Amino acid sequence: MKKWLLVALGAVVAGAGAAAVMAQGSGKLVYNSNGSDPAVRKFDEEQVARFQKAYPGINVTHNTVDHEGFKTAIRTYLASDNPPDVLTWFAGNRMRAFSERGLAADIGDVWQKNGWTKAFPKGMQELSKSNGKFVFVPTNYYWWAVYYRKDIFAKLGLKEAQTWTQFLGLCDSLNKAGITPILTGSKFLWPLGGWFDFLNMRVNGPKFHFDLTDGKIPYTDARVRRVFTYWRQLLDKKCFNDDAASLDWQDAAAVMTAGKGGMYLMGDFIRDQWKDGLEKSQLDFFRFPIIDSKQPVGEEAPTDGYFLPAKAPNLENAKLFLGYIAGKENMEAGVKELGRLAPRSDVDASLYAAKPQIGKAQKTIIDRADAIAQFYDRDTDPEMANIGMKGFQEFMSNPSQLDAILKRLEAARARIFR
Amino acid sequence: MVQTPIRTVNRQQRAFNQFLAIFSFLAVPLLLYTVWVIYPTFRTLYLSLTDWDGLPGPINFVGLENFQRLITEEPFQKSIVNNILWIIVFITVPTSLGLGLAMVLNTEVKFDRFLKVAYYLPLVLATVVAALVWARGVYSPREGLLNSFLALFMGDAAYKIQWLGDPNLAIWSVIGAAVWRQVGYVMILYLAGLKTVDAEVLEAAKMDGAEGWTLFRYMVFPMLAPVTTIVVVISVIDSLRSFDMVNIMTRGGPFDSSNVLANYMYLSFEDYRMGYAASIAVVLFAISLVFIFFYLREVMRQEEGQ
Repeated sequence: MKKWLLVALGAVVAGAGAAAVMAQGSGKLVYNSNGSDPAVRKFDEEQVARFQKAYPGINVTHNTVDHEGFKTAIRTYLASDNPPDVLTWFAGNRMRAFSERGLAADIGDVWQKNGWTKAFPKGMQELSKSNGKFVFVPTNYYWWAVYYRKDIFAKLGLKEAQTWTQFLGLCDSLNKAGITPILTGSKFLWPLGGWFDFLNMRVNGPKFHFDLTDGKIPYTDARVRRVFTYWRQLLDKKCFNDDAASLDWQDAAAVMTAGKGGMYLMGDFIRDQWKDGLEKSQLDFFRFPIIDSKQPVGEEAPTDGYFLPAKAPNLENAKLFLGYIAGKENMEAGVKELGRLAPRSDVDASLYAAKPQIGKAQKTIIDRADAIAQFYDRDTDPEMANIGMKGFQEFMSNPSQLDAILKRLEAARARIFR
Repeated sequence: MVQTPIRTVNRQQRAFNQFLAIFSFLAVPLLLYTVWVIYPTFRTLYLSLTDWDGLPGPINFVGLENFQRLITEEPFQKSIVNNILWIIVFITVPTSLGLGLAMVLNTEVKFDRFLKVAYYLPLVLATVVAALVWARGVYSPREGLLNSFLALFMGDAAYKIQWLGDPNLAIWSVIGAAVWRQVGYVMILYLAGLKTVDAEVLEAAKMDGAEGWTLFRYMVFPMLAPVTTIVVVISVIDSLRSFDMVNIMTRGGPFDSSNVLANYMYLSFEDYRMGYAASIAVVLFAISLVFIFFYLREVMRQEEGQ
């Protein structure tokens, strides 16, 4: 009797075990990631290891590709009949370029099954959809702001600028003190995209900005031209380092860490340029100053996440992987280890409290924003972005060439968005 | 009489066997060559007539539109002008410097081995490394070698010189670094050439009273003519191929002022303009072909001569 019971029990346990293994998937999963920066890479490997532990039946192959190289390689992946099952990618135009061609799998069922429609705020959900279908899941985002040396500001008695006038004032004071007011490094062009985005959103409002990046407004429009008159004020006051075109963004940041520069318009990843915890005493940030108080406020918060190629050979495993990656537990780990902002609204708030910069960014930038932009080179067509940013670079060198530059950008826009 | 046809058959048979042997040896390299060189060449030609963006799906045929755009667009014009500047500098400066060095080092100079190695060393260095050393170590405006040196004479104004950031200077700075690399290469080619110059002929010329410049101008240099042809053609091809120096040092910037065709092609690929980039490749290919023709003709003529 007892023996019989034991055997039956054993069978039940074994059956349940088998069922559990079935539910946890089996077979292969290929995950290609662009997380090549050391800190990101470490976290990436850890999250894969945690997934592997939770789903031992799935054999994960994790490939890390250099962040820049990934942008080109991804097209080869998608053109293949045997693409990786999971890919990292960017929300916005860059995601739409794939989803509108039917290259991304519909992952509405993953969203439903994991209850994400309740866990993610509306804006993030909209960002994840294409033609009404979920094709993307965001896993982290960061903010852009005017970063400054708070120790230098304190020594000179300077305060964070709320308005454009105050901002210009900061520029004068820093120049007088012999410190380069604003640093930028434009060798790789993209830091200038941030300048254009913010100025355009502050002068013309985010709606106008999105219409422009969508190719609906000519670059020769008088309103676009007006943006550059503000930029010109900064150039006339010699606010920028004059060697911007020689430097990449890290070179310029090094000038700031060396105490020779005051401010830098950058994403929060600038923090990593400070070593030995010095950023606690030296680095702070404020929202890009308001120029026209009648305009709604747009901010830059590029969002990174994941999608599944439509032809992914192990689609079911990939969906399990997504469920884990964008789950609450994993995102909280990301906040803890990388100081990222998690796009889920149910993330433990005490984690943010441990990173004062996140609290400040939420309070002063993100919660006050009327609209969120992804960044110039993600919001507009890649070729347009490149031509545009080259134009901004030329403008900073030769502001008098503005009309010729805008004409060139307009010719490109008319061709690219025909 | 009777044997003749048999012999013919034998000969035919032998020729066929020989052909078979040659073919079987060539088959593998030919196959690889077809897959990796011939097919991509024709594929590129085809893509240059499309507006393909690298994504799967139908490829639009646009005829010669890419080429029409190339001619009218500024980045292409700047790139081709820079390629021409590069060629002009390359067939004059490193060529004469390399020849000069070779002439000096071919005579009994102290430490000539060390000097030869020293001049040749830049070429052994990976181009990427050389480019980084020049960009970061020499041209960097704030702490570069060049501006620090100039500051000894000019004072702090020297730190304002943007070797790679000034649109008027950038291409010259990049070419300067490339010349530094090329000199040793040309030197080695000429040193090898000088070894083949017949010493007896030179001896005879000296007996006739030729020396110094006259000896060089009328005896040595003409005898080096085949080497010179090859040096010039190699310089031209290297100029057209120039990519890594530009890409690492300036990425063609600021605003295309130091761009060259190969780098412009690469950046276009990065922007997912596969069709457009392919059309740049075709132009580059066409220009290179002319010089490669001269080069091969010269090499073949020399080989036949031996």
